[in-house]
Amino acid sequence: MKMEKVFPVFAAAFAVIYQLAVYYNWALFTYHPKINEWQWLTQPAKNGPPMYWYGWLVTSLLGAGALSLVSWPLARRVSTQFWLGWVVPIVVGVIFLYLFRSFFLH
Amino acid sequence: MIMYLILLHGLLAVVLLGGITHQAMAVAWPSRSKSGIANSYRATNSSIYTNANIVLYLATATLGGIIYPVYRVGVRTFLENARLMAATGSFELKEQFVAVGLGMLPLYWLLWNRPPEAGARPARIAVTLILCAIVWYGFLVGHILNNIRGLFGL
Repeated sequence: MKMEKVFPVFAAAFAVIYQLAVYYNWALFTYHPKINEWQWLTQPAKNGPPMYWYGWLVTSLLGAGALSLVSWPLARRVSTQFWLGWVVPIVVGVIFLYLFRSFFLH
Repeated sequence: MIMYLILLHGLLAVVLLGGITHQAMAVAWPSRSKSGIANSYRATNSSIYTNANIVLYLATATLGGIIYPVYRVGVRTFLENARLMAATGSFELKEQFVAVGLGMLPLYWLLWNRPPEAGARPARIAVTLILCAIVWYGFLVGHILNNIRGLFGL
């Protein structure tokens, strides 16, 4: 059985973990663009705004990869749940719209 | 150097926009007839776009990631000082949507490169349309922000 059966789980897990990473700021590393410096984990601003986006992506990639591996024994025994891979990202997108509503309601 | 990268980012986005829109139209609104430009556009063999779209999405997102610090330090500060909160928020949403799209790429590849199983056809249409919407949103926001001073006379 190929690993492809967990791709819907990966898409759903990536979206959810990314959402949590943004909300709770779980960045695996922080980049300080003004001084071109990288630091592990979430760090406060240092002479200019910090960037967490790269760290959120890596957190989500590793988290979704791990969850997909864990779910593989179950996923190989049941039919592929394709819906997970598109319904969950849509829900996550709607939650992002809600979370960022203050930008548009001024 | 950064100007060339922004131009390349925009050009790759245009190619991706064409590929994913053509594929999305063909899968969501297929046509068997090739008479006329609209039917011919929808009657294309949409699976051939998949690998190119994935490579273009990754390349465009990577380039976006490379030029992102320039936006964060210079452009976003300007937008915030000008109290252009909707513009700032639009870009915030763009970065989140593009990231969610990155996580969907393996599934997108699977849905277009394997024989259809039960439940795969609606998923193929949905995933392609979601990625198409993300690319359109990202392109429009990027284009407007890149030209915001001229567009709004700032």
